[in-house]
Amino acid sequence: MYSGYRYLVGLNGYPLSALAAVLLHLLALGFILYWNSGSDSSELELVQPTVIKALFIDENPQTRERIERQRQQQIDRQRQQQEAQRQREAEAQRQRDAEAEAERQRQLEQQRLLDAAERQRLLEAERQRQAEQERAEREQEEQRQRELAQQRQRELDAAERARQQEEAQAAAARTEFEVVQSGVALIQQFVQEVWSRPPSARNGMRAVLRINMLPTGEVTDVAIIESSGDAAFDRSAENAVYRAQPFREMEQMPTRIFNANFRTLSLIFQPEDLLN
Amino acid sequence: MGEELGPLQLIFGASIEVQIVILLLLALSVTSWCIIIQRYLVLSSAGRAVRGFEERFWSGIDLGVLYREGSQMQEEGVAATGMENIFRVGFKEFLRLRQQGNVDREAIMEGAQRAMRVAYSREEEKLERHLAFLATVGSVSPYIGLFGTVIGIMNAFIGLASQAQATLQVVAPGIAEALIVTAIGLFAAIPAVVAYNRYSSKVESVTGSYITFTDEFSSILHRQIHTTG
Repeated sequence: MYSGYRYLVGLNGYPLSALAAVLLHLLALGFILYWNSGSDSSELELVQPTVIKALFIDENPQTRERIERQRQQQIDRQRQQQEAQRQREAEAQRQRDAEAEAERQRQLEQQRLLDAAERQRLLEAERQRQAEQERAEREQEEQRQRELAQQRQRELDAAERARQQEEAQAAAARTEFEVVQSGVALIQQFVQEVWSRPPSARNGMRAVLRINMLPTGEVTDVAIIESSGDAAFDRSAENAVYRAQPFREMEQMPTRIFNANFRTLSLIFQPEDLLN
Repeated sequence: MGEELGPLQLIFGASIEVQIVILLLLALSVTSWCIIIQRYLVLSSAGRAVRGFEERFWSGIDLGVLYREGSQMQEEGVAATGMENIFRVGFKEFLRLRQQGNVDREAIMEGAQRAMRVAYSREEEKLERHLAFLATVGSVSPYIGLFGTVIGIMNAFIGLASQAQATLQVVAPGIAEALIVTAIGLFAAIPAVVAYNRYSSKVESVTGSYITFTDEFSSILHRQIHTTG
């Protein structure tokens, strides 16, 4: 069933996991390297040195003057040409602008007319829609209020009923029953504490013992009413009761409750804390 | 290298003591990851095996048939593990004692249970192996990292003492170099702690199911011995 899997994790999976662990760390190292090299290149861009360009200059004065004059003339010519060109372009531009302006005005006028009608219509529709919505909301709100009120009333009623019930229950529970329960639990605990477990005891074994007791807590007689099926277990339970007595707590028990419940007590002996 | 400050420059530029500590931490980290992965494989296969075996056990199959199936698997070279091993050991002891004839019922039960207890503690030990190492790495490697950091800072200050003027540029690299050791220590510790917590709860749940199974199985044996005699 798992043979393929077992093959994968041969030798208890140690080689595989060692490989994976080393790979993981190499991956982490690679990530750090990558991150590092990224920061390197950005810093390199920042510290680019400024470049200085060096030129040889011819120091002959006449040649220099001639070159200078020629350059001056050329610059002047260029400037004149540029000036003329600019003027022509400006003229054309002005004309185009005027035409565009007229066109735009016409369109704007048309748009304004259309807009006015459209806006009027939209406004009307919007007003109607709002009125309707408001009405619907008002109705919903009223409905909700009504439901809320009903809900609150129901909750109040339920709470009142629950409180009454609780009070009644609590009053009943605080009486005899509780006292008897705690007494029985105490006896069970004492018996289990001194109980020595026979080897044949199993979880879930259960014996019912009848214990006859005096008001001082001394046990006069113990009998098995319901056997667990294992004689050793029964015997050990019986012995445990004898060893655990006297139950001195019985002295504080009100006489009426003692006589009704503890003078002859049926004790369920069922230890739960066994390992097997 | 003096002006660039990346993690790698810090590590390679560190003093030899700090580098030794870093190497130690890296070795711990690699080992603990190796264990984390190996334990993951072992524990998840144990969980799966528990589910699979419980399903087969409670499917109403005859115990003898189940035992023979296991024997066949063993002959094919697949050793029984976990719950199946507990079952096999207990059942084997049970059969052996019963075949001797004159052994009393309680003694048979006692024998089978003792055998299962022994098998259980072996299985538990198998599951818990190496977990203590993870716990140790988780708690100790931050301290090792701290140790490296303290040494690094000491070195930085010793170097500082020879300088006439201590500016931030002089102090910063030494301290950064020292701190990276703490970072590596935490890098090793955090996965180990997480894995330890996770795996020990997993081991607890698996061994809990072993215990439950042992109880249920011995109650079945008990019933069998008392009905058939």
